[in-house]
Amino acid sequence: MPPSPDYDTLQAGDPRLIVRWARRYAKSRTISFLVQWFFIVIMVLAIGIFASLTNMAYKTSNMGLFTVSVAAMVLAIFGLTWFSVSKWGGEAIWRITQWLYGKEGYVAYSDGQGGGATPLWITALGGGLVVYHLVGALLVSFNYLHLSHMQPFSAGYMAPFLAVMIVYQRLGFWAWIWPALYALHGVLLLAGAPIGFTGQWQLFNMVVPVFGYGLIAILVGHVYSRFALWKLKRLTRSGLPGFPADEENAADEDGAP
Amino acid sequence: MTELDRVIHEPARLRILTILSGVDVTDFSFLLSTLGLTKGNLSSHMDKLEKAGYVDVNKSFNGRIPHTEFHITEAGRSALTQYWQDIDAIRRLQDNPEA
Repeated sequence: MPPSPDYDTLQAGDPRLIVRWARRYAKSRTISFLVQWFFIVIMVLAIGIFASLTNMAYKTSNMGLFTVSVAAMVLAIFGLTWFSVSKWGGEAIWRITQWLYGKEGYVAYSDGQGGGATPLWITALGGGLVVYHLVGALLVSFNYLHLSHMQPFSAGYMAPFLAVMIVYQRLGFWAWIWPALYALHGVLLLAGAPIGFTGQWQLFNMVVPVFGYGLIAILVGHVYSRFALWKLKRLTRSGLPGFPADEENAADEDGAP
Repeated sequence: MTELDRVIHEPARLRILTILSGVDVTDFSFLLSTLGLTKGNLSSHMDKLEKAGYVDVNKSFNGRIPHTEFHITEAGRSALTQYWQDIDAIRRLQDNPEA
């Protein structure tokens, strides 16, 4: 592949800048992440609720509720894992994304990152994330870890995991917002900053940072994609000085794609 | 001086090929909405680029809806790079005719 031009030295309006903005747009199309986010929020909320129920059942020695809630928690974790790694999950996300983007069409840029099967080490890291949080949930359930410390505990794995995934998938700048804010939140909680939920809302110490910062990152990416698309359209629709008149465009020709 | 590639030296096709050179794959709808061309014009340009060997076309169906994807070929990428080298050479010559 020939080397890319130095885009910073190109004059404004140079058609070669189309490459830059096409890539930026393709890398910031975050609707697919929003679809994943929505599903994961549902599943993790279910896991959290079942973990709380387990804790409550353990404290009140209600073995019936304890058994049911542990089973439901494990089922929810398996459901989350299955959706994350199965072919069906990927296809569902693709179809919903295509539907949401509508007339905008499809474009993909992987920055040289080849497709193919997910490497084993990525699967192992994803599995580790699930096991780590399952251990955390059990530690909370058996009172070895206070619920208010679950978020910093989670950030110990989650933030580096997200960072690795961002580098591996070569996502745009927007993706870094998630692990950065999530790690910062954990540090601030440990430092005693008054940003935690108390009482019956302690579960939100986990839920709000995970999904709130994820949503912020996704929305920033989406807004940036609007800007990148606007820049791209401006470049592709502006005149090219020194070019012949586009006579072929003057006469519309019928022909389906 | 070599003559400019006539397939590429046309604003719409230059833009199409430049977009394709920047991404892995795109589809007809994206090019249509981004470039603001009519379906007929875009089809005509894509046909010319495909015949020149600069673009690969992959037609499929999403359910009952036809879906056409494009990606640039190595020949297309080389031709585009050569085209910009030729354009830059012409510009340098215009800026400094003594050279």
